[in-house]
Amino acid sequence: MFADWGNQVEFVDVLVRQAHPGPSVEAYRSLEQKVADAHRYVANEGIPWNVLIDDLAGMVHQVYGGLADPIYLIDVDGRVSLYVHWTNAPTLHMAIATLLRQDGRGVVLGGTNRFPHIGAAYTDGWKGLARGLPQSLVDMETSVPGSGVGAFVGHQLKPIIGSLTLKSRPLSSGKRLQAAAITGGIAGALFLGRRRSA
Amino acid sequence: MQPVETDILRDFSTLPDPMDVETYNFEHFRLKHLLHDIQRSLTNAGIAPNELAPDFILPSVGGETFRLSERRGKPVLLHFGSYT
Repeated sequence: MFADWGNQVEFVDVLVRQAHPGPSVEAYRSLEQKVADAHRYVANEGIPWNVLIDDLAGMVHQVYGGLADPIYLIDVDGRVSLYVHWTNAPTLHMAIATLLRQDGRGVVLGGTNRFPHIGAAYTDGWKGLARGLPQSLVDMETSVPGSGVGAFVGHQLKPIIGSLTLKSRPLSSGKRLQAAAITGGIAGALFLGRRRSA
Repeated sequence: MQPVETDILRDFSTLPDPMDVETYNFEHFRLKHLLHDIQRSLTNAGIAPNELAPDFILPSVGGETFRLSERRGKPVLLHFGSYT
């Protein structure tokens, strides 16, 4: 995404709360903790764009909706062009291309995208979860059984399914069907595995 | 440096269900957090399309100060994310 659009769009990340706390990534109790994590975030992920540090109460995050992984495309006049509730690169790719065709102004793709894009989360979500082990995994499995293990399995399968689930550009119809089948297969396998072990 | 007024304090004070620091920074992820997110998504919590994005000033990892309203003239992709 950044390679495609970084010279025409300003990329900005705001660091929010710990989504999956654990022994070495505890819930923030001081701004110093958050600042230290922001530096680790940039270093570990190799992020070339601006990473901002919200205050301890997450005021900016809360005003902007407080969701776990949202992204806004803001136009050249400072107005919201698109609010994607669950970040999805192909959607943003289309949105940016459309916005630039409109001279950088106005609403694109209907202005809101609420679709929960779980393919990418299951393929790439383990990275964050792993930082909070073992508590983060226990919490995930207690809260949403299969979700933590699913993220681990997705991570292991990343070399195979990553080309479909982590594409930054929109998939063709055929590839979309393949991605849906793979995601459904993983979910089905996890469901059957849990039923057998119950 | 004089503190600069932005939209965030005003908008935060008018949120229907603002979280305090302890609630916001939960110690364990629970199902209620996911359900809360889904509920907020379904009720369109956040900034609606075509609305002016509330201005804010935040420090960056690079040590600079970032003010959203100063970025007008170029589209901005504003992502909210966690280290975990």
